[in-house]
Amino acid sequence: MRAPTTPDTHPSTLPEARPGAPPRPRSLVLALVGSGGDGVALLGDLLLGMAAREGLYGMMVQSYGPQIRGGESAAILRLADHEVQYEGDQVDILLCFRLRDLARFQTSLRVHPGSIVVIDQGETAEVPAWLGATIEKPYRFPFARYEEGLEVDGPPKNMLGLGLLCRMLGWPDTLAQDILRQRFAARRERLQSNLESLATGFAVLDPPSRPAPEGKGLGLFAETGNEAVARGSIAAGLGFFAGYPITPSSEVMETLIDELPAAGGRVVQAEDEMAAMGMVLGASFGGVHAMTATSGPGLSLMTEMIGLSSMAELPAVIVDCQRAGPATGMPSRTEQSDLFHAIYGGHGDFPRAVLGMFDVVHGRDVMPHAFQIAEKYQLPVIVLSDAYIAQRRQIRDPAVARRERAERERWTPENGLPARFDVTGEHGVNPFRVPGTPGGSYLAAGIEHNQEGYPTADTTMHQRMNEKRFRKMTGIAAETRDWYRTLGDGAAPKGIVAWGSTYGLLREWVIAHPEWRVFLPEIIHPFPMEAFQSWRRGLTSLAVVELNYQGQFHRYLSGLTDLRGAKSVARSGGTPMTAAELDRLLEEAGS
Amino acid sequence: MSTMKAKDYRSGLEPVWCTGCGDYGVLKGLTQALADLEIPPERLAVISGIGCSSRLPGYTKSYAFNSIHGRALPIASGLKLARPEITTVVVGGDGDGFSIGLGHIPHAIRRNVNLTYAVLDNGIYGLTKGQASPTTAQEFKRDRGLAGVEERPLNPVLLVLSSGCGFVARTHAGNLPHLRQMFRAALEYPGFSFVHVLAGCVTYQTPRYADEVYQRCDLLPESYDPGDLSRAMDVARAERFSLGILYQRPPEMPAATSPWEGEAAIWPSVADAKRERPGE
Repeated sequence: MRAPTTPDTHPSTLPEARPGAPPRPRSLVLALVGSGGDGVALLGDLLLGMAAREGLYGMMVQSYGPQIRGGESAAILRLADHEVQYEGDQVDILLCFRLRDLARFQTSLRVHPGSIVVIDQGETAEVPAWLGATIEKPYRFPFARYEEGLEVDGPPKNMLGLGLLCRMLGWPDTLAQDILRQRFAARRERLQSNLESLATGFAVLDPPSRPAPEGKGLGLFAETGNEAVARGSIAAGLGFFAGYPITPSSEVMETLIDELPAAGGRVVQAEDEMAAMGMVLGASFGGVHAMTATSGPGLSLMTEMIGLSSMAELPAVIVDCQRAGPATGMPSRTEQSDLFHAIYGGHGDFPRAVLGMFDVVHGRDVMPHAFQIAEKYQLPVIVLSDAYIAQRRQIRDPAVARRERAERERWTPENGLPARFDVTGEHGVNPFRVPGTPGGSYLAAGIEHNQEGYPTADTTMHQRMNEKRFRKMTGIAAETRDWYRTLGDGAAPKGIVAWGSTYGLLREWVIAHPEWRVFLPEIIHPFPMEAFQSWRRGLTSLAVVELNYQGQFHRYLSGLTDLRGAKSVARSGGTPMTAAELDRLLEEAGS
Repeated sequence: MSTMKAKDYRSGLEPVWCTGCGDYGVLKGLTQALADLEIPPERLAVISGIGCSSRLPGYTKSYAFNSIHGRALPIASGLKLARPEITTVVVGGDGDGFSIGLGHIPHAIRRNVNLTYAVLDNGIYGLTKGQASPTTAQEFKRDRGLAGVEERPLNPVLLVLSSGCGFVARTHAGNLPHLRQMFRAALEYPGFSFVHVLAGCVTYQTPRYADEVYQRCDLLPESYDPGDLSRAMDVARAERFSLGILYQRPPEMPAATSPWEGEAAIWPSVADAKRERPGE
């Protein structure tokens, strides 16, 4: 008999250091801060690309202001020898081109006494105390060029920084050169000047050393959550996408513009979100797998049409990359506050399913799940992503599980029956009549209708149709009873229930907190209640952890089951929750 | 002779429209034109929003969709772009099209999706019992005490012409042969085609309203050149209503067949999307 294995997500033994080489850490966190034009995002992107080539895992989150272009921006990278879905609480290397740009990130950046802080040689300000540790001797490097006391244009700071960091991390300069050659292949002049600046940065004498973790030696693969969503959808059989630009979801559409036509599909940039959702329903009416992606304001505009999708029984997948709301809110900031809207939004009674996306890697899996439910049960499925994972760039294993194309049961003249909206269909679902099929013509309607689809104001029929449509939820609940994840020791006395991108933090947090176990539904509505009840058995306390002001998930669960005694651990979004903060919030809640 | 008859495009459902409603004419003219062109009913989609005239799809034998108020054009565009081989017709009223749904019209035109959009324009909200629409005359609003007396009516034909619509026709619900002819030409046009159908509402206007509108109509002369956009703009601004094909641009860029990839933010062009269609 073989011993049971545990998932190897966070191995606890250190790899052996090479003789003579400085010890390699398991993970390393870098923060890069600058102003618009400093190219902080590109620098982070290049470093992450280099890490992937080295066979390192890692992730990068970006932080920028409400204007989205320009202003202060920060990139936080974590590199590790294992998959990570959380950027950590403290940075090991902080590179800041101008100290005054740091202030904006007061709530999200912390250093420790061993951190290396890199600042400009001409910097006159002190490294601020709020960073959490006293940095007496920051490392100074001449990033900026001055004439008569004023900063003037010089070599690109991000390329100087790339050379310097490459050196500090113990990477060969050829690694940086290769990635620059790839990135700037079409721009020879820019490449040449970048290579020169890289060399200048790399040539510095005796920089502080902070070796990167040991890579696997074979190349890994980096993508963002939005890219993973786009690619997961193509794998599920996506044939039509319509969308409208909105932060933080636009990259779903941008990726599909590049990749869907080659897979035989089509993308439309619509005039607004109502049109986008309308086009999705039109394509779905035509028998084609269709989806849209948006954020909270777009979801609001689509809501009438999501009801139509359910009423006319047209499959549709809607990805909501949540941002801090309401109204315009904080477009570039994350939050989990569209849960109520996704589950309850819209007038009248109608069934729909709601899925939560855990992390970038999960994007490839959650989308086929969404299409599976939408196509099989002929209703809208909302996938809740958020700014934290949508725009996060993540290194993952290149192997992606093959996915079956989701199928919609088709009506043919041979099977003849039943009527399009027959009330007796199993789980309330009848074969779909695809335009072009002889003899299959029918009326799809947003107005209440009889079994043929023709308008009716018969109140008995309205009741029967509601019963028919809501029977789908029973079928979905049975089919998705295993769509959840648990973390930690199943016998631990304390429990956390959470959803969506909080997974990334909890995955690591629970290792350091063995007295806790965690339950995270992948399908939030209908909720996998049976699994949850069995998971919560024997708990002495329960906390519902989420990133919104009202405690929406706590309230939702309270309506489904007896949640007396459970604590709501919720705060407004903006920044994702950190491990230290979760400790504090749980303590305050008395858990 | 066509092998199809108008009634081959009718579902078994009887219309609920008032006796004398112009919608009967639109249904008749449309089904006649479809029969003339022998369009297979299984390859036909008739799509609407909400309103009296938006009930029409349910009376046709087609893949019909009676959707929600103001959104017929995006839904039809999605269908046609995903399934270019389906003949797609959008019908609706002036409230559905020119008020709540107006924002979609210029964009559907810009995209040049190959569909026919027919608006039955009676200048009133019939289904909600007689409110003013964007095309209601100011005198009518004043006489009836309706809201918006200060608001000038919209000129739908001028609007679609200025948006770059490649085919614009106007007809009257009371002139069946002309309706049939206009629908036929619109259905045959490869690109977005707009048919403005003048009509009256027998319930919320005077019973003679449609006739009075018809008295203000003239058929375009034989010599009229529909290729002249500035002439069409003049005609659209005239006091009297000219009936006929007001403007027809040579179909140099029909959305369903041309290689104008990306121009209307559609990737790829329909011509390039060679893949199995679910209906085939």
